[in-house]
Formats: sequence, structure tokens, C-alpha cells
Amino acid sequence: MHSKCAMNGGFRNLEPTLAAAALLTATLLLSGCPASLRTNPDEAAPGNPAPSSQAPPTVSASSPILPPPPPQPAPPPPRENHLSPATRALVTQAHTLIAHGDLDGASSTLDRALRIEPNNPLMWVELGRLRLEESNAHQAEVCGRKALALASGDRATQAQAGRLLADALRAQQRNQEAVEVERQPFMR
Amino acid sequence: MKARRRKLLLRIGAAVLLVCVLLAVAVGFWVAHLDRLVTQQFAGRLWSVPARVYAAPLELYAGAPVSAGDLEEELRRLHYRPGDPAAGAGFYRRKGNAFELHARRARFSDEEREGMLVSISADDSTITALKQPNGAELAVFRLDPPVIGSVFPIHGEDRLVLMPAEVPPLLRAGIKLIEDRRFDEHHGVDPRGIMRALWANLRARRVVQGGSTLTQQLVKNYFLTDEQSVGRKLTEAVMALRLEAHVSKDDILVAYLNEVYLGQDGSRAIHGFGLGSEYYFGKPLAELDVGELAMLIGLVKGPSYYDPRKHPERMLARRNLVLQQLGDAHLIDAAAAARAAAMPLGLRAPGGSYVPAYLDLVRRNLKRDYREADLAAAGLAVYTSLDPRAQGAAERALLKNLQRLDAASKVKNDHLEGAVIVTEPNSGDVIAVVGGREVGADGFNRALDARRPIGSLVKPAVYLTALESGRYTAASVIEDAPIELKLPDGSVWAPENFEHQVYGPVPLARALAESMNLATVKLGLELTLPKVADTLQKLGLERAPALNPSMLLGTVEMTPLEVVQVYTSLANGGFRARLRTVRAVLDDQGKPLKSFKVQVEEAAPPAAVYQLDQMLTLVITHGTAREAAGRLPHTVAAGKTGTSSDTKDSWFAGFTGSYLAVAWVGYDDNRATGLTGAAGALPVWVDTLASLKSSSFQPVAPETVEDVWIDFNNGLQTTPACSSDAVVVSVPRGTVLPIKPDCKLSPSDKTPPSGTLADKIRAWFKSLVH
Repeated sequence: MHSKCAMNGGFRNLEPTLAAAALLTATLLLSGCPASLRTNPDEAAPGNPAPSSQAPPTVSASSPILPPPPPQPAPPPPRENHLSPATRALVTQAHTLIAHGDLDGASSTLDRALRIEPNNPLMWVELGRLRLEESNAHQAEVCGRKALALASGDRATQAQAGRLLADALRAQQRNQEAVEVERQPFMR
Repeated sequence: MKARRRKLLLRIGAAVLLVCVLLAVAVGFWVAHLDRLVTQQFAGRLWSVPARVYAAPLELYAGAPVSAGDLEEELRRLHYRPGDPAAGAGFYRRKGNAFELHARRARFSDEEREGMLVSISADDSTITALKQPNGAELAVFRLDPPVIGSVFPIHGEDRLVLMPAEVPPLLRAGIKLIEDRRFDEHHGVDPRGIMRALWANLRARRVVQGGSTLTQQLVKNYFLTDEQSVGRKLTEAVMALRLEAHVSKDDILVAYLNEVYLGQDGSRAIHGFGLGSEYYFGKPLAELDVGELAMLIGLVKGPSYYDPRKHPERMLARRNLVLQQLGDAHLIDAAAAARAAAMPLGLRAPGGSYVPAYLDLVRRNLKRDYREADLAAAGLAVYTSLDPRAQGAAERALLKNLQRLDAASKVKNDHLEGAVIVTEPNSGDVIAVVGGREVGADGFNRALDARRPIGSLVKPAVYLTALESGRYTAASVIEDAPIELKLPDGSVWAPENFEHQVYGPVPLARALAESMNLATVKLGLELTLPKVADTLQKLGLERAPALNPSMLLGTVEMTPLEVVQVYTSLANGGFRARLRTVRAVLDDQGKPLKSFKVQVEEAAPPAAVYQLDQMLTLVITHGTAREAAGRLPHTVAAGKTGTSSDTKDSWFAGFTGSYLAVAWVGYDDNRATGLTGAAGALPVWVDTLASLKSSSFQPVAPETVEDVWIDFNNGLQTTPACSSDAVVVSVPRGTVLPIKPDCKLSPSDKTPPSGTLADKIRAWFKSLVH
């Protein structure tokens, strides 16, 4: 019972069918569950106050048919990230500077581009690649993670961010983590 | 007898000789001492160029959020004038929404650009096209970086040092004509000038003329006090002579032009023609016309007596006298002098150019890497993130609201104080800092130094800890009920809600949006204080907060800058960008010395921060900052109000898609203001962001979360049709929420956005039944 009530975190990686089954079971059993997902009191650290025990509003389970979930805000459509002409021009300029060994110049130029499109994951991939050139694998890693977060819903960009992240991890001798990144679905 | 007399005479002679020799040696030592003083200090001073500080240049590109009106305003701010761009740099021509601009030569942190012609098209919201004179597209183009000041060691003394090549010939000739006609002939002291001045003063029976040469004035300003005595005059004369013996006439003249005092701007002393030109006319010296140059030359005689802002009539008469003398000496032609004399002074509007609070932060950041002496003397160029438009917006917003709140206050003659910081959260760039209501004055910088209890600004850290634990979602219900805690010292702590109400069971989303104290304390205690403190530190607080239960209600004290650092992680999807004011430092040859790169660290899981941020948008649409919603139309924003105990501090911290801003309002002496965060700081925040072009806060949803409608009052899943208080929250994908019991779904509603999950459920259910 409690495990059903507290499994929101565990749902994320379940296969769809399994999730559906769990969803149904959970909903059928809801009459005894707190209104929303609650802490299992057993999980609470000793000495901490237990979660509220006041009866929360409950759902009547009078209908044997599962009520369809209410229509919810539309999920975001698949996205595709592109660089704008302005940032693309600056990124091209930065690549030229890198090719000439002027990493500081490239950094300033990418800085300009980042100011124009701070939320574009492709910009963070570019920045991370430059950090790798500068032998700053840690910053490259964080740029990769940030790019990955911003690339949600865009497979192609996720793959670029993932490759950067894996490279940055390898540069820190964290090969196992790199392999895990490469096993992510968007890397295929 | 004769021999004795001779002996005596000899002795007297020897004694006199000895005294003479000793005197000569003493004078020699004295002169040598002054000589050394002059050469050493002057040599040091001559080449000591203080660091110049630049704001961020405005980037123009197709799609840049700069309207035709904004562009013209920006060009005016940079002192471009309407005229024929072909005539030279500094002119632009506007035809409708099309601009032809002759941009000046400009040095940026990464390149030096020659002056160039560019055509810019804009509409009423954005730049639409950029072209070079040959018609080729220009992808991106930046305007000149505005100079915002210099880092000077002596408090209050500011100047922009001119290089010899930057001094217009008319200024050289004009200053000699008005201040020291025989400058080119004398050797530092002008006996004829002294006699003339003496004669004139005797005839008038008062001091009407000074006999000092430019060299003497320079020496006086450099080494001596204002004391009037024969000894000082003598020292001055000797030093002037020694200076002339060592340094060329032109170096002395240029040093004089850089040294001379030209006015006072609050506590800032305006020195030199470079800064004088910027201060009075808002443009570089090279672009001054004859009348403007004549005004500055005339001002040397008495910067306070002729203060053109306080006594424009005196200044006008003085300027016209100078113009006439310039004409009489054939330095300009008489017709030009007459034309210029008919013109007004042409001063720029005062204020808005000097940003002491921001420069203070720049100075502190640079001190980590540079010695004070290098900043003052090494001729560095410092490129910062300051956005003059954001700075202006924040200054106006703070002043306007403080004046309004003071007027509405029951206590008269009381002055509320405040502070505002604006940043770009992705890069961590600090783009505006206002340290108090007297924006143009150096003083207590509240943005950096006022460490105050943050009140409910701490709550997002509590709720983030809850979301991170995986045990709570925005829809989870917690209990807002009275709490009494026995503290280790035996006292009992019984916090209350702001309105002294108790709300009962509420979803997390509402407890945060309405800033419920009891629910938050309960939640925080469940999560444990060390976990909440840990979250706060990961977000960016660089100290360990004291682990009292009252910490959950924000007894932890922070400066506005520290709050900015913590909220940067929330505005930046869980990534903490190191705050940056200085982007790059160049040496006097334009060679990069140091660049401060964007630096980002992981602060909190992006999915948890995403869920929290959605809750923070509800603060503005449904919570304590509701008043802001109508005043930022079409812009989604997220934020949190904060009020410390007894309303001593009023805070608001919040962000849009473009900016993060933190505002604080309170009294310096820590009295109660009677203002909540929503009443005091929120209007300052809203006005700041409303006058900046800001995109909506629309973070990219992580794939592990989904948006759902819940009832704001009870956390049940619902639809807008079922609940008048339906709000969207984000929960981990697959979270099962109880559905509102009376929520009848219309047939059209029965198909969820993607049919696959429902199909599967139906199929699975059938298999169970059969």
C-alpha cells in the first residue's frame, strides 16, 4: 500500500505497459491512499515528525470503470534546435580562431553568441567543445549536462550534447560514466 | 697687532664663507630634493593611466529585440549625431526605419574595429537587417562599448586620461591663450607675467590676476596644498623650473589638461578635459565643437563659480569671452566665434552616466587579481557586463517606488532605502547594480553590503529539497497547522502565518505560492534542517546557515548579491553560473591580460528545479505576487516574495526568460517598514523588468516530467472546466494523482493527448475482466 503511494519516483523508467498497469492498480486502490503521493513514515528519519495523518480528500471508487485521466496540458511537440544566422556567424568565426590557436579569442566570440542565444543547447555544445580544447574537462562536462538539459525533446541535439559529455568524462578518466551516457537512447 | 687684526678678519671671512657654503649646500639639497620629487613623481604620474571601465556593447543582428526608436535612443546615448554619415564617424541619418550610420573606431575586448559605414533596418520591435555599404549582409554588428568610468585610487577623483594624440590643436592653443600666453617662451616661471599680475592687482587693490604659469598650476595640483604663503610660492616656483628642465613642454601641457579640476558630481571630482567633455557634453573630446571647447577652457578659471548647471548665465558670458579672445587671436575665424556665441551651452542631461555601485563591484572583483596600483596606473581597459539600459531601468524603478512609498508612509521625513541587482542568469552576467536611492553617489552599497534576513525568499530551498527527495510533488498535500517547538534553550517557538490564519491541508504548490509559514516549517522539519541548509549551499550560498528551525522562515541573512547567486541556480535550470561583472581585462596596448569565462556548475537536479520553477510561476499568477501578473502582460515570470519579521525587510527575487532581478526595500537602521515583499520590493522588480524587453520564462521541460492540471486548493487532478482554481504544475512522468471527484469529463475530453496509454489501459482492463 505505502509502496504504491510513494512510487512516483520509481515510475519514471518503467516500460509503458507496466506503467499503465501500475497506474490502474494505484488508482483502484486510491480510496485508502492519501490524496497525493506521500512519504512512507518508515522512510522518515528517526526523530523527525511523521507526515500529517489527517485524512485527505479522497476519490470515490464507486465506478468499476477507470475514469479516463482528465485532458492535460498538451505535451511539448518534438523540438529542433538551430543556431540563428547571427550566432552561426559568430560560431563560424570562433571555429576559425580555434583553428589558428586563438582560444581566448574564440572564447570571447562564443561569449557574444551565448549572449544572443543563452538558451540554445547548441551554443552550450560549442562552449563545451572549446572548454575541451582548453583542457578544462570539468567545465566541458557541465556544459554538456546543461546542453543535454536544454536539448530535451530534440534527439539530434541530445546526441551532440551526449557526445560532448562522454568526451568530457573520458578526458577525466571517467570511462564507465561515459559508456553509460553512450548507452542512452538518444545516442543511438 | 696687524697680524691679529688680519687673523680676526680672516676668521670672520671664513665664518661668513662657511655660512654661505652651508646655505648653498642646504639650498642645493633642497632643490635636489624638489628635483627628485618632481622627476620621480611626475614620471610616475605622467604615465599613470587609470583603468577605464566599459559597459557591454549593444549587439545588433536581424531579430535583435531593438526597435527603431530604441536604436535611435541608443545612438543618442553614444552621442552619435544626426547628419551626413559620409562626413565622418559619429554621424547617422534616419529615414523612417532605415538608418545609415558611420560607426566610430572602437576597441572591444576581443578586437579593434575601424570606423565603418553600416545600414540598419528596424521595425517597431526588432532589427530586421544589417548591411555593409557594398550591400553585403552583415550577420552581427555591435555599437561602441560605452565608457562608464575609471578605477581610481584616490577617493572621489575621476578622470579619463587623454593621450597627446587625442588633444585637439585648438584646445592646446586655446588653453595657452587664456591661461598662460607665454607658456612656449618661459621656463616654468614667468617674471613678466608675475610683474603684470602684481601691477594689475596693485591698481585694483585686490587679486584680479594670477601670475602662475600652467607649469606652476600643474605643480601646485600635483605636489602642494592650497596654502598661500611665500614659502609655498617659492617651492612652487623652484619645482616648476625643475620640471621644465626635465620634461618637454608638450608633456607638461597634456599633463595639465589631464590634471585640471573641472567640476564636482556629488562626491566625484571631475578632472581633466577627457572626463570634462564626457561629463558636460556626453561625448568624446574629439567631437566637441568650438563653443563646447570654449566652455571647457573658460571653466578652468573657476569650476564652481562658473558651474554651467548652477550658473548658466555666468558660464555663458565666460564662454563668449573666451570665444571672442579665440577669434581675436585668429585661432578661429571671427564669424565662427560669433556663430558659436549665439548657441546655447548644449549640456547633456545630467545623471545616468555614473554607476558607482556597479563600479564598486567591478573594483572588488578586480582586486582579487590586480594590485590597486596597477588598476590606477597601468592603463588597463576593463570590459564589463553592465547593460546601461537595464541599469537605467533599475535606477528609475527604485527611485520612483521609494518616493511613492515614502509619500504614502505615515512617518514623514523618513527615507526608505533599497537595492536592485539584475543579471542574465545563463551566463551569470551582472548587468545592473543599484546600491541605494542616491544612485549617482558613492556611499553605502546596499546591493553588496546590506546583509539582511531574507524571509520567505528561503522557501524555494525547502520545496526544492522536498521535490529532490522524490517523496513529494507540487500536488502533494501537506498540513498547514499550528506548531510549537521546544528549542534547545528551553524556549518554545510557535511560528504563525503572516495573516495569523491556519489553512489546513494544502498542496505544496499553494503552500509555496501563498507563502504559508506553518506548512513550510512542517515540511522543512520533515526533510530535516541539514538537508535544507545543504540545498541552500548547493544553490550558491557560500556560508553554512545556522541550523535553527526559524531558518526555514528565512532568519538567514544575505546581501542582495548573495540572494542573486542563489536564485541564479533556480533561474538557470539547476545550473549555478558564477556571477560575472568583468568579462575581460586588456593592457594599455590592447593585449588581453585576463578573461573571465562563463563558469557553470551543477547545483540541483534539473528536473526538480523545473518542477519548482513551475511552482514559482504560480507565486505570480495565484500567490503573494499576484499584483505583478497584470503589470507584466504576456510575460511569464517566476519568483518569490520575502518579508522579514516585523516587516523590517521587503524582498522580491524573480526571473523571466531573459533576466533575473532581486530587489530589496527597507530602512538602514532596521526599523519596521510596514511593507510586505509584495508591497515594497515587488513594484520595484516589476517596474525594472517592465521597461526591459523580456521574454517569457519557458524552460524546456525535462523528459522525465509532465504537466498536469491540479486544483490549487486541494491538489486533486482536474481540468479548467472542473475547477475555477485549476493550475498547471509539473510532476514526475507517470505520477498518479487522485482525480477531483465531481470532475465530469465531456466526450471531447475523453481522449487524452496521446491515445496510446489509454488504449493500453483499456486493453489491459478487458483482459482482467474476461
